[in-house]
Amino acid sequence: MVFGRSKSSSSATPSAPSKAAAACSELRAAYHECFNRWYADKFAKGLFQKDDCADHWHKYRACLEEHLEDKHLRQILLDAETSAFYARPEADPPSGQGATK
Amino acid sequence: MVVYAQEHVYLHPWDRVTAAVWRKFTDPASRTALSHVADVHTLHRRLDSDTGRLHAARSITVRSPPLPFILRRLLPSAAASPNGAALCHCVETSLVDAQRRAMDVVVRNVSLRGLIEVEERASYRPHPDRPDEWTQFRQETTIRCRPLAALAAVAEKVETRCAERFLQNSAKGREVVERICRYLEAESAGAAPSAV
Repeated sequence: MVFGRSKSSSSATPSAPSKAAAACSELRAAYHECFNRWYADKFAKGLFQKDDCADHWHKYRACLEEHLEDKHLRQILLDAETSAFYARPEADPPSGQGATK
Repeated sequence: MVVYAQEHVYLHPWDRVTAAVWRKFTDPASRTALSHVADVHTLHRRLDSDTGRLHAARSITVRSPPLPFILRRLLPSAAASPNGAALCHCVETSLVDAQRRAMDVVVRNVSLRGLIEVEERASYRPHPDRPDEWTQFRQETTIRCRPLAALAAVAEKVETRCAERFLQNSAKGREVVERICRYLEAESAGAAPSAV
């Protein structure tokens, strides 16, 4: 409640969507729609032999590869296929605090 | 270091709850409740069709709580923001085992790791008392500030503030999952005769 400060439009913060979000939003929406349906109707009910959304995923991923800017996220996108770390959430973090100095 | 553990029982079956968890950040109706989430992308997915295991990694970009002035000066994105909030990237890795009916989700921040490390581990399992009807949710959140000597006092404040925000958001996340579960329940009730 400090007076004298013009706090005119603090809620007008732009949501700053990334370029990737803008460029890939349609492909992302199509993938999500496919995934949500496949997960609920098939995978979660034990029908996991077929991946119905692979095509949607490949298109969306190709778009991200082109437009994703953040270097951390890019690295994960590019490395994930081969990275055991990101593919195994139950594993301990690679450099835990228990490491000796 | 701060550690919080939470538990919750969803009165919905495991397949419905985990379907709702996937939709949590992308459901248009959840935008207001989860307004701190700025952007979500799937960065990786892999289905092992022999074992029924699904791996996925998603980026979740969140707005941090407004940061203390001294930290804003260190963070270009926060300095540029009118209210001193920074955009932080987190990565959520999920493993779902359809045969065992087990879902495990880990969220870690990838931004600001020099200052703070947040890790949220959640698990969704069929409830032992009613495995086909209820779902047991467990979550443990660990928040650890890096000991930047000069900033230690400030870091402690950030740790507390982040912890408060995380707990608020966890509660909101549960409400959103509950709401999507009710929606999916209604949908499946309405569409049941024509399903498959």
